[in-house]
Order: sequence, then structure tokens, then C-alpha cells
Amino acid sequence: MNGDGTVYARKLRKSYGDRVVLGSIDLDVRCGEIVCIIGPSGSGKSTLLRCIDGLEEVDRGILRVNGEDLGFVETDTAYRARNRKEVAMQRTRMGMVFQQFNLFPNMTARENVMAGPVLVKGAAKKAAASRADSLLADVGLAGHGDHYPWQLSGGQKQRVAIARALAMDPNVMLFDEPTSALDPERVGEVLAVMKGLAERGMTMLVATHEMGFAKEVADTVIFMDGGVVVEQGPPAEVLGNPKEPRTQKFLAQVL
Amino acid sequence: MAPDVGVLNKSPSEEAKAMDATDKPRLHRRGPLEYAAWAACVLVGAGLAHTLVTNENYQWNVVGQYFTAPTILQGLRLTIVLTFLAMFFGTILGMVIAVMRASTIRPVQLLASGYITFFRGTPVLVQLIFWFNIAALYPNIAVGIPFTGISQAVDVNVLMSATTAAIIGLSLNEAAYLAEIIRGGFASVDKGQIEAADSLGMSARKKLFRVIIPQAMPTVVPATGNQVIGMFKETSLVSVLGVAELLQSTQLIYARTYQVIPLLIVACLWYLIMTLALSYPQSLIEKRYSLVRSRVSNEANEALVDPVPMGGEAR
Repeated sequence: MNGDGTVYARKLRKSYGDRVVLGSIDLDVRCGEIVCIIGPSGSGKSTLLRCIDGLEEVDRGILRVNGEDLGFVETDTAYRARNRKEVAMQRTRMGMVFQQFNLFPNMTARENVMAGPVLVKGAAKKAAASRADSLLADVGLAGHGDHYPWQLSGGQKQRVAIARALAMDPNVMLFDEPTSALDPERVGEVLAVMKGLAERGMTMLVATHEMGFAKEVADTVIFMDGGVVVEQGPPAEVLGNPKEPRTQKFLAQVL
Repeated sequence: MAPDVGVLNKSPSEEAKAMDATDKPRLHRRGPLEYAAWAACVLVGAGLAHTLVTNENYQWNVVGQYFTAPTILQGLRLTIVLTFLAMFFGTILGMVIAVMRASTIRPVQLLASGYITFFRGTPVLVQLIFWFNIAALYPNIAVGIPFTGISQAVDVNVLMSATTAAIIGLSLNEAAYLAEIIRGGFASVDKGQIEAADSLGMSARKKLFRVIIPQAMPTVVPATGNQVIGMFKETSLVSVLGVAELLQSTQLIYARTYQVIPLLIVACLWYLIMTLALSYPQSLIEKRYSLVRSRVSNEANEALVDPVPMGGEAR
């Protein structure tokens, strides 16, 4: 049951009708590795993360998260869907942070962080509440537990969302453009929390437009365009000395 | 005269000097159309009041006489009970149908859609008469425990009294409308909320009760309040089945006394009073939930509210 914090993919393919959103993706993410996925909007980076979180289903290919086939079990001729409980179990071992935060507006910050442990894992409320408070303190929001999402700034909301994901003790954290919906002056506080998480050895996949963050924190940078991985490697190579013309063009536009 | 003129001439200019131009209110013109509209409305109002008072056929004394007659009050009570029961059963069934409608299982979804289409697509009055006469379709139903042989035949004619038919008819019809309202509430919940719940691994049940329903409430509750008010008036339809609710009670009296108009006025006044009485809590509910809604969705508030950590502003 213990996840090993890896993500492994071979020839992941997905299309909506005729439109191919994931061409043929291969991924090898080690435990504790920080992978930043960059690329123009519509390049498939969000879809890739959403597939890894099981929010969307891939059409074909191998997808293993924490060493297990995600959502399906391999048989001789097919992948058979797992039952809901198993899928839910797999999901508890990953954390997802959304661009639009998606905090539950009917719950306080503390209740948001408690929601996973209490409603999914059946944790005791008291213990979950004190755990939630310490997680909120970790993301720099001590004392904000009783605030509702509408009382928080975008950056604060996103940090609550990170605490909510961490409350499930995930082995892999997925960030889907976590700072894209924030005011520029709020971006730093969220990136700082993510940096802290990276230093503690969490496996992280981050779809982002923050090239500075990618350069500083990532072990591997993946450049995606048109649903395929165009180039990948250490940030110094992909960002500093890109070989592919498409990467060069993209970086010239954003930097 | 001269000093007077002088005073008259002086005072406005003095006043004007006394008042700072930056503080002067801005006055708007009233066009002739506005005066004409006033006059017309006053005329219509006065005419109505005049005929209400002078036309003796209204028989206001009879209205007063029967306004709190026991038969009328009993009818009013039954109307209230019918409204409550129809809303109660309608809400429960409406919830079930709304959940079925949102199901990913196609036949379940189709069954719910079919229900909604049928009950919204046919008149309530026809449905009520239909339920009253259901015995013609199913004269006997056997109530029993399957595979045991224990069963009891029930005569549907006896079972389906006018009041039962009224409650069933109104509830089933209301369920269809409420199902649509609840479905609209579900649809108003942001897709991201469901994804967030999914990504935490929440079960379908938890997702429904902890995430979707609480957030659908601001849409559903005010609309349901409106339905209650509508239902209160809709119950008058069951008078055709002979259920002695408010309207039927007045009909029973005027069938005997021929004082049709004053008794219909009695019924109207009671409907009006009850509707107004229900509108007040309804408006409070609407206000409360629209507040919640604007809080939930108002991202612009962010800039205004900068929460201070607890206990931070004791002084």
C-alpha cells in the first residue's frame, strides 16, 4: 500500500474526437524528483497532470503512479477498471493543486484541510483539526483556520489548497498552474511554500509558466507542445541551452 | 412695498451665497408625462375604491360574517395541511429524481427525464382527476411480502379517497418541478469543486452531501420558497375532487346561500393573507442566500478583506 512516490508512463495517448491532446507521452519521475512542465497553453500539460490524478482517463498507454497502474489493472488483453474504493485509495496517495484553488466555499480553511482525512479516511475530528492547524502553520497561515475562502486572498487560498492536499499524506504532488490565477504580488508566497515542499523530498510535477521557479527548483524540465514532449532534461539544458527550435521559440516569447 | 421687494430680491441671493455651490443638491425635472401618469393612476385607484364601497353586490357584511366561519377556517386548515404534505413528499421525491437525473447510468437518467417530462407536460388538474380515478385502471392492488404467499388485496377505490388522490397528485407533480430546481442547483456548483472532491478520493455519497448539496442550497432554497407559495394557491385545484379545502368550503356555503361573490372574496382574502405571510420569510431567505452566494463567488472582495489573525484586533 505504501506509495513509492514515482510516476511512470509509456506511450500515453488521449484524444477528444479527432483532436489529439496527448500524443505519446513517456515519463519517468523518480521519488523526490521535481519536474516542471512548461509549454504554451493548449500544449497538453494540464491534461497530462489531470490524467495522472485520475480526473481524466487516458485512451491508451501505461500509467503507473506510486508503482501501481492508475485506476486500472492490467490483464492479458486489456486494462480493467478497478473498483471505486481502490481508485479512491490510489487518489489519497496523490495531492492535486488546481489553478482555481477549488477550495470548498462552504467550509473554513481548517475544515477544508480536514475534509480529506475526516470524510475520506475517517480520521477523528479532533486529531484532524489539530493536524490541519499545524499544516496551515506550515504554509504560513497560522491563525487563519476559521476564515472562509472568501475572506482569504488568492495566495492564501492557494496555500490552504496546498495544505488540504498535504493533509492526505500524498507521495506525489501535482500542481496545475498553481500561480496562474494569482495577482503578481501573491505569486512569491505560493512558490515559497512549494520550494519548501521540494526541499523536504516530495515528488512534484508542476505545470507552470514561472520560468524562474523551474530554473531554480526543478530537477527536470519538460517542454510540451501540441500534446507531445518536445524536449526534456535538466533546467540548465532545456531553459539555458534548448536544442529544439520549438523550445527556443517558446522561451524567446516568455523570457 | 419697496422694502419688501428688496427683501424678496435679497433673500434668495443671500441664501445662495450662504450655501456652498459644491454642496447643492441636484434636482431633476418632472416631465408632463409623469404628471399625467400620476393623474391617471389616482383616477383608476379612486374609481376602484368608489365601486368597492358603493356597489352593494359586494356584500361586505356577508364577507365579514363568513370570514372566520368555522367551515372556512377548517378549509383553510386543510389547505395548509395539503400544502405542507405536498411540499414534504414532493421535496423528498424531487431530490431522488434530481439525483437520478444527474446519474451517469443512462437508463436511470432516462427514467427520471421521462418522469419530469410527463408530470410537467400535463396539467395538474388532469393529473388530479386521473389519480382520483386510478381505480378504473388498477381496481385491486395486492400488498404482500414477495415469495411468501402472504398478501392482502386492497380495494383501490377505498384506498384512493379524494384527499389521498389530492396529496398524491400534488406531490408527484411538485416533485417534477422541484427535481428541475434541484438539478439547476447541482448545475450551479462549479465543476472544479467536484474535481477537488474527486482528487481527495471522496465517495459519491460524501461528494453529494458534503460538497454539492451545501453549495446548491443558495440556488435551491429561494426557488423552493416560491414553490411553496405557488403550491398554496395550487391546492385550490383539488376542490374539483370534492376535498373540503378553502375554496371548496366557500363553494359549499354559497351552494346553499347563493352568496357567490362575497364568499369568493373571503377565499381570495385568505389566499392573499397567507401568500403575503409566506412572502415575508421567503424574502428573508432570498436575501440571506443571495448574500451567501455573493460571498462565495465574489472574488473582488479579496482586496477589501484582509483578515487579521485571531485576537489581533482586540483593541
